[in-house]
Amino acid sequence: MADRIEGVKKLFTSKSARVETNMGDAHYEKLFQSCQARIEELKTQTPRENRLDIDSFLDDQGVNRRDFMKWASAVTGMLMLPSSFTPLVADAALLMNRAPVIWLELSDCAGNTEAILRSDGPKIDEILLDIISLEFNETIMAASGHQAEKQLEDAIHTFKGKYLLFVEGAIPMGLDGQYGTIGAHAETFYDHLMRISKDAAAVVAVGSCATFGGVPAASPNPTQAVGVMDVLKGKPLINIPACPANPANMVGVIIHYILTGQVPELDSLLRPKFAFGYRIHDNCERRAHFDAGEFVEEWGDHGAKHNHCLYKVGCKGPMTFNNCSIIRYNEGVNWPIGVGRGCIGCSEPDFWDKYAHERPISSVNIKAPTGGVEKTVDEFGLGLLTAASIGIGIHAVASVIAGKTENKEY
Amino acid sequence: MNNTDVEYDDKLGSKRVRVRRMTFTMRLIHWVNVVSMIVAIATGLYIAEPYYQTLIADDAVDKYVMAWNRWGHFIVAIIFDVTAIIVSYLFFFSRFEKHYLKIIPNKKNIIEFWEVFLNLILLNRRKKFDSSHNDSFNAIYFIVFHIMLAWMLFTGLQLYVHALASGDSSIGAWWPWMLHLVTDWTIPFSSWLVGTTATGGNIMDVRIVHHMSMWIIIVWVLFHIYYQIWRTIFWQEGDIAIVVGGSKFMKVGSDGNKKVEDK
Ligand code: HEM
Ligand code: HEM
Ligand code: SF4
Ligand code: SF4
Repeated sequence: MADRIEGVKKLFTSKSARVETNMGDAHYEKLFQSCQARIEELKTQTPRENRLDIDSFLDDQGVNRRDFMKWASAVTGMLMLPSSFTPLVADAALLMNRAPVIWLELSDCAGNTEAILRSDGPKIDEILLDIISLEFNETIMAASGHQAEKQLEDAIHTFKGKYLLFVEGAIPMGLDGQYGTIGAHAETFYDHLMRISKDAAAVVAVGSCATFGGVPAASPNPTQAVGVMDVLKGKPLINIPACPANPANMVGVIIHYILTGQVPELDSLLRPKFAFGYRIHDNCERRAHFDAGEFVEEWGDHGAKHNHCLYKVGCKGPMTFNNCSIIRYNEGVNWPIGVGRGCIGCSEPDFWDKYAHERPISSVNIKAPTGGVEKTVDEFGLGLLTAASIGIGIHAVASVIAGKTENKEY
Repeated sequence: MNNTDVEYDDKLGSKRVRVRRMTFTMRLIHWVNVVSMIVAIATGLYIAEPYYQTLIADDAVDKYVMAWNRWGHFIVAIIFDVTAIIVSYLFFFSRFEKHYLKIIPNKKNIIEFWEVFLNLILLNRRKKFDSSHNDSFNAIYFIVFHIMLAWMLFTGLQLYVHALASGDSSIGAWWPWMLHLVTDWTIPFSSWLVGTTATGGNIMDVRIVHHMSMWIIIVWVLFHIYYQIWRTIFWQEGDIAIVVGGSKFMKVGSDGNKKVEDK
C-alpha cells in the first residue's frame, strides 16, 4: 500500500520527460568542485588489476588525443554539462576501470552485450566499455561453470557496496521463476538477481527486456516476464532501454557515476533524462516531410526514394523517447530512420505489442480490452457504429409501425 | 419551471404553449460543438492515418498538409476547452435551467429517468412524464457526453504535451508543467483500459484510447441526433426547434404534461 501511495505521488509530481538543460551557474560551480575532488581521489586509487593504461590503449586502437577530446566534449554535451566540464569528463573516462561492473544476463538475446563488443571499427564508447573493470560477464569471460560462480562470489565480496550491477534481460516470474535458472544449483533468475543486487552500489537495467520486460514479456507473456524495476526495491536503479541499449548511453551513465558518484536525473520511467528526454520525432531529419504530409506509402515507392516520412509505414517516432535520432548508432554513422525504416519505439514499455508494426497504430490489430479477438481500433469503432445503427433502425421501424396501429388522437 | 418561461402562442390555440428551453448562448455553444466535433473527427482520422494522397502535386512551397490538420485539431481542441469550461459553469450556475438538479439521484429524478426510458423503448405508447422541461434521461445522456469530452481533452492534452519534451513552451514553462500535472494520470488509466504486459504505462495506450473514445462519441452523436428527431416526430412538440430557435411546444395537460393555467 505504501508503495502504491508512493507511486501515485510520483505520478503527480514527476516531470515526465522534462529536461532541464540549464541549472544555473551556482549549481554548476558547486558540481564542478565536488566532481573535481572526486576525480582527484579516484586517481589516487589503483584499480584492482591495473590491467592497462587506458591512454595508451586508446592510442593502440587508433584514437589520438585530439579525437578523444572531441569525444569527451560530445559526451559533456550529452550529459548536459557546461563545456568547462570537458577535462573532468575526459579524466572520468580514463578512470573507467575504477568502476567495477558485474553484468548479469537473464531472459535475453545478449544483444546488449553484442552492442558493447561491436568489433568492427569500435567507437570510443565501445572501447571504453571494453576496458571498464568488467568483473563478471557470462558471455565474454573465459571462466565457466564452478569457476565462473567462484569469480562472481569473489567480485561481490571484494567490491561489496561498490560495484555497479548491469542487468540484461527480463525476469520470468511464472512457475516460481523456473523458466529461467542459472548455474549448477539451478538458482532462478529472480533469486540470482536478488542475491547479487543486494551489495551493489546501484543497478543499471540495460535494454528493453531488463527495463520493461521487452520481448519476453510480449503478449501473451507465457513466462510472466517482468523488468528489474518490478522486482527490485530499495536500490538506486537506472533504466537504459532500447533494443539494444545504445553504448553511448551506458558510457554516459558510468561516466556520470564516476564523475558525481550519483545516478543521473531520471524521468518517471527511471530513464536518464540526458538520453531519454528527447522525442525521436522532434529530431528526425524527415520531419519536414511529415508536416508536409508527404509519406512513404509502400516500400520502394516514389516517397521511399525521396526520403519521405515513414509514418504511414509504421514509424512510431511521435510516441518514442530516445536520443538515437541525435547520437545515432555505430560510430554515429546512422540510425534506423536514416536508413529508411520506421522507428519501432524500442525504448518504450510494451514496444513489441504496441509499437513494432509496419503500420500506424490505428490500423494495427490490438487486443480488445476484454481480451479475445484482435481488432484495429477502427474495426472496433465501425463495429460499434454498425451495431448502434442497426439498433436505431429497428427502433425507427418499430416506432413507425407502433405509431400507425395506435393511432393516437391529439 | 416557472411560468415566465411559458409563453402562450395564440395561433396554436390554448392546447399548446411555447416553452423556452435553450438560451442563445447555449444554442451557440451547441452548434460550435457540432462544427468542432466534425473537424476534430476529420482531422483526428487524418492524424491517425493520413487518408488522402498528397503526392499528387510536386513539392510545393506551402504544402503543410499534416501540419494544417494538426493545427486544425488543436484549434478545435482549444474551442472544446473553452466551451467545456463555460458549459460546466452553466451546469451549476445558469439562471436559466440548472442541469445538475436533474441528475441528483432522488426519487423524482429516478422515476422520471425510468419513465422517459420506457417511453423510448415502448415506442411512445407510454408517456407519463412532463416533457416541457429538460428531463432526467436527457440530462444524464448529456452528462455522459461531457464526461467523454473531458476525457478526450485530458488524453488529447497528454498526447500534446509530449511535443513539449524540452519542458518549455512559447508561453512559458508553466504550461507543460500544468499539463503534465493534470493529464499524466491518463497514462496508467489508459494502460489499464487497453491492457498491458509491460511495466510502466506508455503513451501509445493513451493514443489508442483517444482513438477508441472517438468512436464511442460518434455513436453517442448518432443516437443523440436520432433521438431528437424521434422525439420531434412522435411527441409532436417540435423538440428539434429547441436547438434552433430555443423553444418547443408543449401539449398542455396531456401525455403526462402538466396543466398550465390560462392567462
Ligand atoms: C456533434 C454533434 C452533436 C453534439 C456533440 C451535440 C451535443 C449536444 C449537447 C451536449 C446537448 C445538451 C445541451 C445543453 O443542454 O446545454 C445537446 C442538445 C440538443 N441537441 Fe445536440 N449535439 C450534436 C448534434 C446535434 C444535431 C445535428 C441536432 C439536430 C438534429 C441536435 C439537436 C439537439 C437538440 C434538439 C438538443 C436539445 C435537447 C433537449 O434540450 O431536450 N444535436 N446536443
Ligand atoms: C473530442 C474530440 C476529439 C476527437 C474526435 C479526436 C480524435 C483524434 C484521433 C482519431 C486521433 C488520432 C489518434 C491515432 O493516431 O490513433 C487524435 C490524435 C490526437 N489528438 Fe485528438 N480528438 C479529439 C480531441 C482532442 C483534444 C481536445 C486534444 C487536445 C489537445 C486532442 C489532441 C490530439 C493529439 C495531440 C493527437 C496526436 C497527434 C500527434 O501525435 O501528432 N484531441 N485525435
Ligand atoms: S519518419 Fe517517423 S520520426 Fe521521422 S518525421 Fe516521420 S513519423 Fe516522425
Ligand atoms: S529509431 Fe526507434 S526503434 Fe530504432 S533504435 Fe531509435 S528508438 Fe529504437
